[in-house]
Parts: sequence; structure tokens; C-alpha cells
Amino acid sequence: MPDIIAVDDLVEVYADGTKAVDGVSFKVSEGEFFGFLGPNGAGKSTTIKILTTLLRKTSGTVSVAGYDLDKNPKEIRKLIGVQSQETSVDPELTGRENMILQGHLQQMRGKELDDRVNYLLEVVGLKDAADKRAGRYSGGMKKRLDLASTLVHKPKVLFLDEPTTGLDPQSRATMWGYLEELNKREGITIFLTTQYLEEADRLCQRLCIVDAGKVVAEGSPIGLKKEIGADAITIAVQNKTGAGDRAATKAAAKELLSKIPEVMNVVDTEEGLTLYVKNGGLFVPDLVRSFDKTGIELISINISTPSLDDVFLKHTGKRIRTEELVKEVSTGRFGSRRR
Amino acid sequence: MTILFDTRYLFVRALKKLVRNPILIFFSLFQPIIFLVLFTQLFHSLNLLPGFPAGVSYLEYASAGILMQNAFSSSLQSGTSIVEDLNSGFLQKMLVTQVSRPAILLGRLATDAFRVTVQSVIILGLAYALGFRLASGIPGTLLILFIIAFFGLAWSGISLALGLRTKSAETVFGIGAFLTFPLLFMSTALVPLGFMPSWMQDVSRANPISYAVNAVRDLSIPGFFSLSAELSALAFIAGIAVVTIGITLYLFRKVVS
Repeated sequence: MPDIIAVDDLVEVYADGTKAVDGVSFKVSEGEFFGFLGPNGAGKSTTIKILTTLLRKTSGTVSVAGYDLDKNPKEIRKLIGVQSQETSVDPELTGRENMILQGHLQQMRGKELDDRVNYLLEVVGLKDAADKRAGRYSGGMKKRLDLASTLVHKPKVLFLDEPTTGLDPQSRATMWGYLEELNKREGITIFLTTQYLEEADRLCQRLCIVDAGKVVAEGSPIGLKKEIGADAITIAVQNKTGAGDRAATKAAAKELLSKIPEVMNVVDTEEGLTLYVKNGGLFVPDLVRSFDKTGIELISINISTPSLDDVFLKHTGKRIRTEELVKEVSTGRFGSRRR
Repeated sequence: MTILFDTRYLFVRALKKLVRNPILIFFSLFQPIIFLVLFTQLFHSLNLLPGFPAGVSYLEYASAGILMQNAFSSSLQSGTSIVEDLNSGFLQKMLVTQVSRPAILLGRLATDAFRVTVQSVIILGLAYALGFRLASGIPGTLLILFIIAFFGLAWSGISLALGLRTKSAETVFGIGAFLTFPLLFMSTALVPLGFMPSWMQDVSRANPISYAVNAVRDLSIPGFFSLSAELSALAFIAGIAVVTIGITLYLFRKVVS
């Protein structure tokens, strides 16, 4: 299939000298569900802003839907739909008015527009709330309206910048359903950025893992995880007496485990410790026995095939998850001021 | 063509927002109405002082000034709307569509002009109820509304430029509120030039509000009209509007690209 997005050696240097995007190259095939996974500050939003004509790139070549970004930004705008990280609906207009306005600005008129708007409102489950002001919608409804309004002009490529950030789990699952549906039924190419591993894993056929403005790994979620070549075993431990310092117990367990030859790597996590072992299932009896003559008790064992987080860890030496937590704390404290 | 269609769509959008938030109109009308009702009563004997145009009541005199106050203080808030769109992401959402770029500003300016006109009609109606009669009849009234709307646009331009530059609604709002009274008092909006100390006369002569007020006053009080003064005032107002809207367009281009 032809490439609907082709990016070659893209660089974005901000006025203050920060290299937000540092030589990124990738290709997206028509009809593909493609993802950019990375922690906050990896350059995901900057990349999407460049691809959607909102931000001028420093260097590199980009083509979207067959048009060169430098020569034909207007043609590109006709063919793309963009949902930004902020939920950008006009709170004082009704859901329907928001969508009609988007259609008008994309030069649609009359019955064709009305029909399309009605159809989309139905699809995202906002038919009954269509004539209420968007300001009175819940967070999930606003996101759905935002998504629907980017689809009015039947774009060929849909860009989604962290489409589920700030949504509760149920709204997130609903959103995922729509996106899969759009990709499968309407054949629309989707470029999505996310910091959620689960989201990338579930939705994307292919993804780039990005960190600090660079692509660190590229492939299908399954393929990337296979590269790890080991299972992840997450354990929780405590002192047998039930008392004692948790951190010290954890450190002692880590010390003990890293001496076992089968264990490829041990990493601290929130839950306890994660160790990487080939054939994890067969290793469990050994694992349990190794704590026999110690003062440490195993309270849980969880074997899993490696996650995308493990992939990220392998390539960058960091976890995405910790970054994610930092982000949520900081938006809670400072981000809310803007609204 | 697209630019006209898009301007209309965005004009309608802004108008809907305004109609659904009538409190905004109430707030911007509040001060001029206080001035019109209380000020003109409080100072009604001002016309007895030497130097005040003979045979003119204070209500007649001050109405022109109050109309202008309404125009520039409302228009100075215009930039807050573009800041809102900038911070909510709505502006970016528009910019990834094919929308004509200048239409985004033109739609805004059209709304401001419309708003100032509606508010001016309300103030004129109230002044009429208080006994103010316009000397130049319907054609004069229309010309006055045109001058006010056009003058408002110049200030909208300043406010939009401020909004695009600072990206802060509070700053736009604050600067607007800060500018209103000095500009109003140091002009011929409320008292004749001869009433002021000489330094203030100098400021007032340079104050664009004086020009606009005089242009409106000449049309509203019998015997004040002179074609040459009217034309020069109009030219002056047009000049300011061109400059401020030009700056806004320039800044907007920078934000957009």
C-alpha cells in the first residue's frame, strides 16, 4: 500500500534552542492505525503540529496524503482531521452548531452537511444531546463531539493528539471503540500519539516509540514485545514477621534475585520488583524456593509477557509509567489554572 | 468568496456567543449608563459656566462623549475573545481547516462593530428618553453610528493585538480598564477644552477620543456642524483604524504561521 504519511529527518528547534524533534523519520501506509508512543516531552505533540500545518518545521521533508507540506499546506488541510490534546469545542454553541461550523469552515454546505452531521452525531451517541450547549456536556461527551467534528469533511487521515488523556476508564474504552470502528469500517488512516501503553498496544497496528525527540524503536506492538525475549515476573514481598522496613526488604530481595543466573534483569516498580526471565512459568518454583531460608515472604507473583513499557525500558533505561505519574501530578497543580 | 463566507460564519458564531451571554453586554453598558443618568444630572449646571457653548444643555454635550466611552471601552475587551480561542485550542482547530485566515479576524471585527452599534442604539434611546434630541435627524444618526462603529474597530484592533501578543485575557482586560478613564477624562468627551488646565489641553488635543467625540458632537448639536471638521475627523479615525488593524493582522500572521 502507498505511504499516506512520509516523514524524513524531521527536526524542530525552538527559539530557545530546545530540540523538540531531533531527526525523526517514519512512514505510514494508507489505512494503517499508526501510533507515536512516548512520555511527556518526547516531541509527540510537536510532531503532530508540524504534520497538521500548525507549526513550521526547522528542517526535513514531510508529505501527507500525497502533498508536500511546504508546497501544498492548503491541500493537506482539506484531507486531514485533527483532534488536539485540549478538547476544543465551543462551550456556548450546541453540539450540532459546533459540527456545522466545522463543516462550513471546510466548505461544506446544505443538505450534504446536515446529513453528515446527523450521521456523525448518531455514531458518537450524541443525537439526543445535539441541541444542548457543549459547555453542559460531560468530559467524555466533549471529547466525542470534538472527535466527530474533526470527521465532518470525511478526512483521509485523522490525527489524534492524546485523545483519551483526562478521560475516565469507561469513556476511554468508548473512545477506543469509535477509533477502531473508524479505522476498520471507513478505512481512515489514523495517526495517534499517546503516553498510555495499553492504548498503543490495543489500537495501533504499528508504532514508533519516541523519547527526547528521537524514535527509539519501531514495529508492531507484538513484534516489539517479542524482541525482549523474556517474560516479566512482577512480585511483591514483605518481611516474614509482617513488620520491618518495606524498602529494606525489597532491596534484600533484589540483591538475592540478581544472583540467580536465570534472572536477566531486576527492576524496581511501584508494586514491588519486576524480573525478566526466559520461560517465566518454569522459573516460578525456583523463585519461590529461593526465598525459603530468608526472612522475606512472597505475597504475590504475576507472570506476564513483556509489555510495551518493558520495550521502552530496554531502549531508554526508563519507564514510561513513572513519567506518566509525574505528568498527572503537574497538570493537577498547574494545568488547571488555564481553564 | 471564501473569505466572505467564512467571515459570515465566524460573525454568526460570535453573535450567538454574545446573545447567549447577555450579561457581557450588560456589563459594558453599565458604566456608560451610569454616566448618562447620574453624571448628566450631577453636572447639569455645568452649562452655566463661562466657556460652555451657549444654549447647550450638559446632557446634549456629554452624550457624544458617553457614546464614545461605550465604543472604546467595549472594544478594548475584544482581545479577550481571541485569547480564549487561543488557549482553548479552538483557534488551532480552525487553523487546521481550510478557513480563510483573515476571515478569523474580520469575523471578530464585524462582531465588535455590530455590538458597539447595538449598545450605542440603546444609549441613544436612553438619552432620548432623558430629553436629548439629535440635531441632524435620521441621516445624522446613521452617520454617528457609523463613526462610532468605525472608531470602535480601531480600539478592537489594539485589543486584539494585545491579546495576540500577551496571550493573557487578564492583561487585555486590565489594560482596557486602565486606559478607559485617563483617555476619557483627558479628552473633550465630558467638558470643553477651555475647562482644562493647559497641560491637559495639550493631552486632549492629541487624544484621538477628542477627535471622534467632536465628530459626533458636531452632528448632534444644532449649529456645530462644519463639513471640513467632519471630514478631517473621519480621516483621522480611519487612519488610526488602518494602523491598529494593520498591526493586528501582522501579529496574527505571526501567530498563525
